[in-house]
Order: sequence, then structure tokens, then C-alpha cells
Amino acid sequence: MLWTIAGTSLRETGRRRAALILVIVLPLAFYAARSDMQGQAIRFLALGVGWAVATLALFSHVGARHLDRRLAVVGASPTALLLGRQLALVGMGLALAAGYFGLVAATQDVNRLWAVGLLLGTTVLIAAPLGAVVSLVLPRELEGALALLAVMATQMIADPEGALAKALPLWSTRELTGYAVDPVGSDHLRDGLAHFAVVALLCACAAWIAAVVRLQPQKLPEPRSA
Amino acid sequence: MRQQWLHGFLDLCLLCLLLERRDYGVGLTQRLAGSGFGDIPGGTLYPSLLRLEKQGLVRADWAASDVGPRRKYYELTGEGRDAAAERVAVWREFRDVMDRMASRAATAVEES
Amino acid sequence: MSGARWHESLARLLVERGVAPGEARRLAEDSRDEARAAGVDPAELFGPAAAYAAGMARAARPAPLAALTRTRGPVVLRLTKVVKRYRRREVLRGVDLTLRAGEVAAVVGANGSGKSTLLDICAGAAKATSGLVERAASIGYAPQQHGVAPYLTPEEHFRLFGAVHGMGSRRAVATGTHLAAGLGWRPRAGAVAARLSGGTQQKLNVVLGELNRPELILLDEPYQGFDQDSYLDLWTQVYAWRDAGAGVLVVTHLLHDLDRVDHVLELKGTEDR
Repeated sequence: MLWTIAGTSLRETGRRRAALILVIVLPLAFYAARSDMQGQAIRFLALGVGWAVATLALFSHVGARHLDRRLAVVGASPTALLLGRQLALVGMGLALAAGYFGLVAATQDVNRLWAVGLLLGTTVLIAAPLGAVVSLVLPRELEGALALLAVMATQMIADPEGALAKALPLWSTRELTGYAVDPVGSDHLRDGLAHFAVVALLCACAAWIAAVVRLQPQKLPEPRSA
Repeated sequence: MRQQWLHGFLDLCLLCLLLERRDYGVGLTQRLAGSGFGDIPGGTLYPSLLRLEKQGLVRADWAASDVGPRRKYYELTGEGRDAAAERVAVWREFRDVMDRMASRAATAVEES
Repeated sequence: MSGARWHESLARLLVERGVAPGEARRLAEDSRDEARAAGVDPAELFGPAAAYAAGMARAARPAPLAALTRTRGPVVLRLTKVVKRYRRREVLRGVDLTLRAGEVAAVVGANGSGKSTLLDICAGAAKATSGLVERAASIGYAPQQHGVAPYLTPEEHFRLFGAVHGMGSRRAVATGTHLAAGLGWRPRAGAVAARLSGGTQQKLNVVLGELNRPELILLDEPYQGFDQDSYLDLWTQVYAWRDAGAGVLVVTHLLHDLDRVDHVLELKGTEDR
């Protein structure tokens, strides 16, 4: 069932051509805008990938809300429904990340290139459940997209050393960018990965709890024979 | 209104006509018109015949004719004959009730 | 339209209406020979191909099995004093119903009287404020709105719902296609639900509700985009489910043939809002 849900979700999202094109182009625009500064370019590229994947996740989950409810009522487990859609989104997100990793490798001479792959991957792994959480809290596309816009814009302009930036979901991306670009010690890598682990776990748990609360049908007893 | 009523009774009409003798589509149309029912469009007649065929009341087969192209002839099956007899009986009963009601209404109109 | 084109489009339209391709071809050939024998243009003899196809497709559908003496089975749904309140507004005020396998219950009432809410409560998608809902485990559920995914094709819907019911992909598609034919529709490969007509989307919605041959079918009767023929087909289907031993709860908007159903549940709604 999980794979069928993932497969259908993949096709469904793949058919939203306009949204898909925007998702592909958005990180490129961010990257090109700051291509004069390597660190900024890579950080903005990653945030663009994160924003795009989160938005796609938001649209995918919002679009499937009624259908998922119907599927849950006739016996689909809410966990499988969430997991199936997340699998499809992470798959698409990683493909996008792989493409942009290729672009960075071809156009920049990065100190630790492998870390760029790592940070693009962690960004996708946070963004997909983040979009799901937003969709489950704000069940409409417009409100959800605005919430994501607020989070991402704050992430971009907040002082990276301040407490606010650390409380935002993609702080790890910035830490890992520093590690990839600058000749710094491995504490940046450690901090970034730790932040990633905590945020990814929080997002995944929040998405899972929200999905179960929202989708789990009432348990109704079988009729007594009379 | 007549057309609408006939719609409801077309299956019965066809069973009656086929009880008399087997026939083909255009022949049935002519006989319906000859009985005073007016022209029944093919778009109404053929679906009715097909439905009767599916219900097993009518059997259809193609027969070559001496004068023209081959034609599809319809005839009642055993089950079709039984159904025709049964429906005719029900119709008579219904008609008698309706007749009595109509004549009472006619009397009332005359008296007023 | 020339004679040959008329017969070609008749065959195609029959297939679209759920007639098996072989039989559609045979019917189109019959119509060609019949027109030839009568020596007239097919459009003159049979009328427009689309209307003729609709009539023939209805007639060609296998006659429902002769209604056996219906046996009423075990209780599949029992509502006892079910109440639903939204804040201070009482939408359902003590609803009672006992529905057995092999019975049809129609839920009627004005807009806003809580019909869809009741259906959601029976499905388990909404919680009753008080009262008892007992229900068979295996259900089919066809809500009024948003029952289908706009970007998926009918076949993908069949696979997805089939997977939930533990059916293999091929069996799910075969079953879905077969059930669609019963409603006078043959899904075409490649067309996503958003591009189907309103009536056809509703047929897909209904087919998804009966894919697993459930013991209890909960149906919010579609009416938007449904033509008279589709509407009659739907009710034929409702009675076919019943005769096959399912319990059916239908929320109905038009008061069609209520003398044939076993229970009529009228919801009054409430004024104190």
C-alpha cells in the first residue's frame, strides 16, 4: 500500500506542470542572484531548494486532504498515507538536489564539495515534513504558502548568530554551508548535523501526530446481533 | 401526452405485434403507425427491441429476403409469449379500472 | 454525417457508454444493415448517433438478475439517539435507525438539515456528540464532494483504492472497469479526473465506493452534472447492491421512488442557531 500511495503521489505531483517548473526554477534564481559570493550562493541555493520542496509538500498534502480522509475511513492507515506521500516528495526533492549539486560542482570550486551534497540532502529531509506540518495546521494553500514564505524569508535575513536564526528550521543549512565553503573546523559540521537531527525529528513527529489526529477515523463497534 | 403514454407501453405493443407474427424493424414501425399510434422513431423502437432481446422475451435473427437486402427478424420466445399473455391480462384489468373512472368523470361533467 | 461515419461514431459512443467493444461493433453493424435494408440514411432512421447510443447502451446492459426473494441479513448499521452539536447549534437531534444487510435507507431533508453530517458520522469521519453508532467493519463511502483526486486517472484511482482494500493492481482495475460499465461508463486511459465531465467524475466517485464489495455502502447521492439516465442507472445500482446483500444508506436530494426503499429517515434540521 505504501508504494502505491508513493507512486500515485509522484504521478499526481508530476502532473502539476506549472508548480513543478516553479519548483525547479526557484533555487536557480536564488543561486544566480548571489553567484558572485560562493558561500551566499550555495546557502541561497539550498534555501531555495528547501522552500521549493516545502511548498510542493504543502500543495501535495493540501490537495490530498479530502481523498486521504476518504481512504482512511475505508481502512488506510494515516501513517501509511503520510509516509507514502513523504516518500514521493523526498524522492523528488533529492532528485532536484542532485541536479543542483551537479550545477555547483560544475560552476564552483568548493573547498568541501561533498558537504554541499550533504547540506542539500538535509535541507530536503527537513523541507518535506515541514511542508506536511504546515499543511496539517493551515489546511489551505494560500495560508500555508504565506506561512512558509514568512519562515523562509526570516531564515534568510535573520542574523545567523542570533537565537532567532537557531530557532528556525533551516539553521543547519547555514552551518553546513560554512563548513563546505570556508576552511573551518568540524564543529560546524557537528552543530549543523545535530540541529538537523533535532529539527527533522521534530517535523516528522509533528507531521505524524497531526496526520493521525486529522485522519484517524472514529472506532465504531460492530452491531450487536439482535 | 399520447407519445409519453405510448413510451410506457411500447414494450407491450411490440410483444402484442410479435405475438401475431414475426416481423422486422421497419415492418413493426409500419404496423404501429397502421394501428393509429403514429410514427415511432427508430431511436425509440430499436432500443426497445434490444431490451426485449436481452430479457430473453424476443429472439432476433438475420434472414435473407428474396427481393432485397438481408433483414433482422424478431420473434417471441416461449418466455416472451408467456410474458405477453400475462401483461395483456394486467393491461385489461388496468384499462377496466381506468374506464370506470373515466366514465364516472364523464357523467359528472354531464350532470354539472 | 455520412452513413459510414455515423456507424463508426455509434460504435465509439457505445464503448464510451460501457458496452463491451465486441458487442458495440456488432450493434453498429446491425444498425448499418438495418439502415441499408430500409434504404435510408442512418441518421434519418435512428436519429443522432449520440442519443441512439445512449438508448442502445441502456438496453444492452445485462438485465439485473431476477430479483430473488430478498433475505434481510444481520444488522450492518444501528444508530441510537445520535446527536451532533456544533457549539450551540444542534444539527442532529436524536437520530435512530436500524439498517440490515439487504436493505436500503434513504436520508432526506432540506439543505442544511445535517444529511451529510450524518453520513460522515456513519463513516467515522466525524464524531457524534452523543449517542451510539454501531457499524459493520467493511464499508464503502462515496461523499458528495472532493471524493476523487483531480490529477489522477480513473485507473490510478482504482489501483490506489484497491491497494487500501488489499487488492492487486490488476484485479482493482478490472473490478473498477466492470463496475463502471454498470453505470454506463468506460474509463479511457490517460484522462485525469479533472478532465472528466461532472457526471463522469461522480460515477468514478460511486465506483470507488463499491470497489471492495462492502457490507455497508454510504452514498451521498450525486446530482450535479448527473443527467436523467445516469440518475436512473444509479438507482438501479443501489437496488442491485441491496439485492446482492449489502446494506445501503443513501443521502438523497430528489425524492425519487421513495416507496421502493426500506427506511426513510427524514432530518428536520434545527432553527435555534
